[in-house]
Amino acid sequence: MKLNERSVAHYATCDSPPDKTGFLFKKGERNTAYHRRWFVLKGNMLFYFEERDSREPIGVIVLEGCTVELCESAEEFAFAIKFDCAKARVYKMSAENQAAMESWVKALSRASFDYMRLVVKELERQLEEIQEATGGAFVGLGGQQGRPKSSRRSQVARSRSGASSSSSSSSSSSSSSSAPSMTVPCSAQKSSQDEVPLISGCSRENGVAWTKPPAANGFVEGASCVAWEGSADSGNGIGYGADGVKAPPVPPRRRGASLESPVSPGTGCFSKLHDWYGREVEELRVQWLQSQ
Amino acid sequence: MRFNEKELVSLSRQPAEMAAELGMRGPKKGDVMKRRLVKLVVNFLFYFRTDEDEPIGALLLEQCRVEREDKQTFSIVFLDEAERKYLFECNSEEQCGEWIDSIIKASYEFMRKNLIFYRTEIHRLTGKDPLEQYGISDETRFQVSNGLHLGSRDASSL
Repeated sequence: MKLNERSVAHYATCDSPPDKTGFLFKKGERNTAYHRRWFVLKGNMLFYFEERDSREPIGVIVLEGCTVELCESAEEFAFAIKFDCAKARVYKMSAENQAAMESWVKALSRASFDYMRLVVKELERQLEEIQEATGGAFVGLGGQQGRPKSSRRSQVARSRSGASSSSSSSSSSSSSSSAPSMTVPCSAQKSSQDEVPLISGCSRENGVAWTKPPAANGFVEGASCVAWEGSADSGNGIGYGADGVKAPPVPPRRRGASLESPVSPGTGCFSKLHDWYGREVEELRVQWLQSQ
Repeated sequence: MRFNEKELVSLSRQPAEMAAELGMRGPKKGDVMKRRLVKLVVNFLFYFRTDEDEPIGALLLEQCRVEREDKQTFSIVFLDEAERKYLFECNSEEQCGEWIDSIIKASYEFMRKNLIFYRTEIHRLTGKDPLEQYGISDETRFQVSNGLHLGSRDASSL
């Protein structure tokens, strides 16, 4: 089977930060000798290099559908990566000390795409619960059908350049570089310490942000309140993006931009994944408890 | 570069995010458009001859850019060789849009960024780190300051 190997190798060596690196001994496929290799874990890909400064990996292990176990071995600090498919290979590895072994087992156990996806979904769900709990103030904000809030957030998560909401939502980014007036007032209103994002700021000051007269704090805030009021007026609080008539100046949304399950075709698909992963997590938990 | 092919083939049989028969053209000069069964599973795009069970090939969807070429066609290029385009012909404009969207979301790095965003937001709103209850707050892959690259519109660095 072909693979876009050059690009895969590029992923290994490009400047995106790896999740873990270090030396491990890996048992050869044919011969039983263990070879010391430099390992780089990025996402669900475990690359291995001959030397730490090698320019290209010798190989990669795709970490989907595998389990990581401590194993009985003449080698100390040994563990194995096992796959679930027929005639699958078992990758036997050993670390240089107990701490390294535990650290690698932990990192590799959670390296799958499926795991990351599950955690993302869980956080997405939590965020929505929180937003729903804080009331309908969010609902009118840049809404469209489905989940306006998560859509907005996904917009934010996705495009940091240009989108007016983006600079306000993350304190870790340099905010307001492209910020229109929308973002400034909330920051000004909030304590000078945190750069509170526009949306959550409005939620905290729910009543205040909504009811303050536009002219009160001058142009800048006026502009922001007008924008938000626009949304409150036109909808009955339910998000009016559907007809687009009084849409506030939000960034263009992509279809399906919300972080609703990407597994659109068939929920059967997702629940299978979920179940599978649930089992996986359970097994790991047991493993960890036993190894404590 | 070696890779665990058997396991990758097995992965190609797992439930797919998206699967359809599309036209596909490789990046080399002289490659022609052929009908292929294209399947998106985690961050891999597998492609099969329409009547075969084993994939001809797989594309890892990291460090790549997906673009609409025309109403029904999209392309994938990998950042290390941006001149080489893989072309995919869909059966409708809508289908094309769905594939583009799905592929963009299919990268591990994309998910990581979303996770970090959600984590930060929840923390901001509640004062609590949502990952603490799972005991995974300290994992490298969930760190905010992982130095992720942002700014360009590539799928890879969204």
